[in-house]
Amino acid sequence: MFYVVGRTWRKILFWVRRDRLNQELAEELELHCYLKGKVDREARKTPEETRREMGNLTLAKEESRDVWGFVSLDNLLRDIRYALRAFRRNPAFASIAIFSLALGIAGNTAIFSIIDTLLIKPLPFREPDRLVRITQLYPKALLEYFQQRSQTMDIAFVSPGSEFNLTGVGPASRITGSEISANFFTVIGASVERGRTFESGEDRPGNDGLIILSHELWRAKFNGDPAIIGRTITLNGIDRRVIGVMPASFSFPSTTVQFWIPARIDPRNTVEYWGGEFVPLIARLRPGANIQQARAEIHSLAAGVWKLFPWPMPRRWNADSTVISLQSDLAGDTRTRLFILLGAVGVVLIIACANVASLLLARATARRKEMAMRAALGAGIARIVRQLLTESVVLALVAGLIGVVLGVISLSLFRAVVPAQIPGMAEVGLDWRVCLFAAALSIFTGLSFGIVPALKAGKLDLAEAVKSGSQRSATKTWIALRTWLIAGEIALTVVLVVAAGLLMKSLYDLTTANPGFNSQRILTVKISPNESFCAQRESCIAFYSRIIADTRALGGVVDAAIANTVPLDGQLPAIPADVEDHPRTADFPSPMLWTGAVTPNYFRLMQIPLISGRAFTDTDGPNASPVILISASTARRFWRGVNPIGKHIKKTGETSWRTVIGVVADVRQFDLANHSPGSISGAIYMPYAQAGIEANAQLPAVMDLLVKTTATAEEVPAELHRLAVNANPNIPVGKVMSLTDIVGNSISGFRSTIWVFLSFASAALLLAAIGVYGLMSYAVSQRTYEISVRMAIGASRKSVVVLILSQSLRIAMIGIGAGTAAAFLLSRLFSGMLVGVTSADPLIFAGVTVLVLFVTVTASTVPVCRAVRIDPIRTLRAE
Amino acid sequence: MPGTVELLLLRVLAAGPMHGYGIAQRLKQVSDSVLQVGESSLYPALQRLLINGWVKAEWGASENNRRARYYRLTAAGRKQLTAERQEFEQMIGAIRKVLEMA
Repeated sequence: MFYVVGRTWRKILFWVRRDRLNQELAEELELHCYLKGKVDREARKTPEETRREMGNLTLAKEESRDVWGFVSLDNLLRDIRYALRAFRRNPAFASIAIFSLALGIAGNTAIFSIIDTLLIKPLPFREPDRLVRITQLYPKALLEYFQQRSQTMDIAFVSPGSEFNLTGVGPASRITGSEISANFFTVIGASVERGRTFESGEDRPGNDGLIILSHELWRAKFNGDPAIIGRTITLNGIDRRVIGVMPASFSFPSTTVQFWIPARIDPRNTVEYWGGEFVPLIARLRPGANIQQARAEIHSLAAGVWKLFPWPMPRRWNADSTVISLQSDLAGDTRTRLFILLGAVGVVLIIACANVASLLLARATARRKEMAMRAALGAGIARIVRQLLTESVVLALVAGLIGVVLGVISLSLFRAVVPAQIPGMAEVGLDWRVCLFAAALSIFTGLSFGIVPALKAGKLDLAEAVKSGSQRSATKTWIALRTWLIAGEIALTVVLVVAAGLLMKSLYDLTTANPGFNSQRILTVKISPNESFCAQRESCIAFYSRIIADTRALGGVVDAAIANTVPLDGQLPAIPADVEDHPRTADFPSPMLWTGAVTPNYFRLMQIPLISGRAFTDTDGPNASPVILISASTARRFWRGVNPIGKHIKKTGETSWRTVIGVVADVRQFDLANHSPGSISGAIYMPYAQAGIEANAQLPAVMDLLVKTTATAEEVPAELHRLAVNANPNIPVGKVMSLTDIVGNSISGFRSTIWVFLSFASAALLLAAIGVYGLMSYAVSQRTYEISVRMAIGASRKSVVVLILSQSLRIAMIGIGAGTAAAFLLSRLFSGMLVGVTSADPLIFAGVTVLVLFVTVTASTVPVCRAVRIDPIRTLRAE
Repeated sequence: MPGTVELLLLRVLAAGPMHGYGIAQRLKQVSDSVLQVGESSLYPALQRLLINGWVKAEWGASENNRRARYYRLTAAGRKQLTAERQEFEQMIGAIRKVLEMA
């Protein structure tokens, strides 16, 4: 080993100094001759004899140089220079090949750099490979249950983050923070930039009035105040002491989180301890433990936790909980999407390779004479193959360089595929891994598309090639090989375009689907007082009534309402409820119902139709008997074939029942595709004034103001914001957004994925067109003689067109046939991404067939024109 | 036999540093002119020894005021000489056995 290293090192040293060494060797030999000559003269030998005895000095130099190991390197450099010269001589070939490959490599580089950031690059924490996530969500009680029993992990608790009111620092604002257990920073392995992290016990009531800020929040809200540690700030009306600031590089569990506060873990408060927000658990494997052991442990621990709750829980609740690496947890379902895109862009690269291989085959035919000449002059087959492979690798590396640049430029388009709040996504870009990937990919593609043409060229029949060298003598198998390459290329293109078509159809269906409400000309703005603001029910109702009244008085406003949530904004206000006729048991626990709290005119404003019964009126006030509206699917689920009106529902824990007074149409609350989380069994609405009717129940404080405007109401957003802020300057007011934008944003990830996919499919289509064009041009030039003969003996132009077109159509049909079959099988793979379309949508398949045929014919047009313009007399005379 | 030239060069250099011409002369002299290593195999063989790190080369003055490149055996070269010598003895022994058997 040591010896090899030393030898290699010396070789490099010798190579670097080869000019001097050559000179020194010459000097040495000269001295040798001199000394020998002197001795020989004394021995009376003639100079002639001396020279004969010396042997071949040039050979001595040559062989010495061989020993230094320059020859292969020199040859490589010569091959590269030769390749570059050859490309300059044939710029059309080189630019088409480089363009094709650069397109493929660009896409791959971009997608790979995202995958790299998300899945390969280690998380920026201490020993990141020891970090895991326990799947499913758990209450605080079970955090402690697991902590006490786990032998393999140190477990921490980290909520995904919720919004809090920050007052006393500039205008009131909403900031997002995460509740964590005191050991969180120890478990994740991150330290503060200033101050300290939480200490054990600081997540207990009484000790928890603390906060750690993110670097960004510290800079933005506190101007990077160096005396921040120890300062008291007010969040949701509660004072907290700042004890630390995290470094700018730290971000967890998402980039939206701006601060961390201790979760209040209080075993004495049973409801909060077992029933508060369920949150993700993360953990660090203890030294010596591995993830399999942790998994086995969680499997056995989680199996019985449903029995531990102080109230009935669904049988085997969370029993399927397991342990996965934290990195794959953060990537979540983006992973599948990225791998589908990587597959698609990989196919684009294969198509590009097929294109270049096909071009190289054509070039190899044209260069047969050159190769034969080299072989005749003594070049070995290995040497010729190596020369040709060098050419294709050089081609690929040039393309790779351009591809990486293109890839990095296009990254901004591709980045949108991944949710921006995943930590680290901001740093997606070029790093050594990406460069290495692109370089390896280039060399690999260069070898793979170069190998067949190179071997073919190596196997040529010398005598035959030197003798004829005519274009016409190309063997049939070469064209057959190219035909199959292009047909395969078309097949792959069909697969991609079909997939893109299905995805586009999905997107179209989603955007044109009726979400159950009319988002046109509706503005929303979130008004978020502290929860304590609504301790007095009347003042809260009065506050919102005044805002509604003031809003209605604005010019350009048609109607205004408030609601606790806006459809599709990503929130999920769900509560467990008791439903009449459906008693609760361990096997049928309380259903979770999506719960709206709205003012009566909400349904009119949103144009949600009333199906039966009556809607809310202003008389359904805080003191009237409690009423409720249910959605059509909820009615079907709980009272199939029975009139639901007059039935009763209540929040679990409430004593008085609420009466169902009507049924409204379904609304796509959670996502446009009408999936709702499996845990949600239905949707109910209650009048805002009745949202908290029990003695100690509060009304929800954070509400959205919804405003229907007239067609021309450009100044309304600004006025609306001013109005809401003026109503109470201590209450944070969000950004005014149009409901149409909220609806659009809800599918932005899906939409950008589709755009990226579509760009890949278009690239494939373009490459296939180039491939067909190249093949047909070549075929026409090969068949010039044949066509001339045909024309000479009376073939019409039309029949020439038919002759050439039928050739390209045959290739297209083979490709389309194979591609359609493959697409049909493969499209099931991503049927999960499709919404409202079956993966066998005949319209898409037919459309793609027509499109690909059209592209094929278009790409063949120029070659066909050339065929028609052949002058038979001149061609035949030239032969 | 392949490698024999290198073995001879190593052995000659074991006596002390020498330049290329000197090595050739010495070989010729010691072997009573039986072993004549031609320049076209002497110099490539010296380069092989250099690359393998068995000898070092440095410039020094020669007997007639022209500078000459002297080759000096390194520690690794000495080891290599012992190893190759053993191998060579074995080979010669084996060849002799085969010859005497007949």
